[in-house]
Amino acid sequence: MTRCHRTPRPVAAQSVTRCAPPDPAAAHTVVLTSRVHTGSHEQVGVRRRAVLRAVAVAAAAAPVASCGWLDGDPDPPPPPDPLAPMVAEAATLAARYQAAATAQPTLAARLTPIAEAHTAHAAELSRLTATALPSTMAVVTTSGSPAGTLDELRRAETVARDAAVAACLSAPADRAVLVGTIAAARATHLEALK
Amino acid sequence: MTGELAAVLAAEHAAIFAYGPIGAHLSGADAAAARTAEAAHRTRRDALLLQLTADGATPPPAAAAYTLPEPVTDGAAALRVAIGVEERTSSAWRAALAATSGDQRERVLSAYTDCALRATRWRRAAGVEPITVTFPGRPV
Repeated sequence: MTRCHRTPRPVAAQSVTRCAPPDPAAAHTVVLTSRVHTGSHEQVGVRRRAVLRAVAVAAAAAPVASCGWLDGDPDPPPPPDPLAPMVAEAATLAARYQAAATAQPTLAARLTPIAEAHTAHAAELSRLTATALPSTMAVVTTSGSPAGTLDELRRAETVARDAAVAACLSAPADRAVLVGTIAAARATHLEALK
Repeated sequence: MTGELAAVLAAEHAAIFAYGPIGAHLSGADAAAARTAEAAHRTRRDALLLQLTADGATPPPAAAAYTLPEPVTDGAAALRVAIGVEERTSSAWRAALAATSGDQRERVLSAYTDCALRATRWRRAAGVEPITVTFPGRPV
């Protein structure tokens, strides 16, 4: 850098173009020095200014965008949808019935339609609440005997039925029908488990 | 709300009518279940009459007769018609959910669930598989 006759300038690109071609030993000390050997100084300066301008614009834009200034005032996070937990609950029940149907082939004809119903309920709840379906389900282990399996499913279904009844009674009118339908369906599942 | 409850009352009138021929063609446990179901529908009908009158509405009267989806000539037909009756009343009660709130919604949900449960039991009695449906009472 000692061979540069530069005046103090705030932008490095302008000062570099005024440098004489550097010797190889000094090359690593000058930003983008290799370009100096391949074109006119003025051309290199134009390219570098363009690059630096682009970097500066991008750097300035990033914090603006991340602060949400371009979208108006940042909104407070919306309150959680009270029905959102029902999506995972229904999907979990579906997985549980499916696992039980696989483990107990003698029960498959009874359990598979109920598993499918829970899957359909999860899909409708997912649409209603704009909540994603869980991508993976925990592996559910089931009891060894068919009677034990039915007992476990009855317990889970009873809890889920009661939750759906409570959710229906506190739901706004536009959601009461779907949630009430799911509550009634779960009651019929308990009947089918008898 | 009155309109939805009036529609439920009309469905309950029809259900009570249908359980006459249904019960006459069933025996044993199925006949007992038909009697219990008819009594439950009468109870719901009476509550609806009181509710609609209290709300200042004119409850729709029962018709002298209703056309059944098929003639009830034997036990199998009786079970098929019974399933249809409960599905129809399920739909009417379900449609009233959105028009209600609080205690009244609780009563509507309870009546709707009862109908869905009876439809499930009648499917089992009739040998219909599966005995459950995904969305009870939802128009297909």
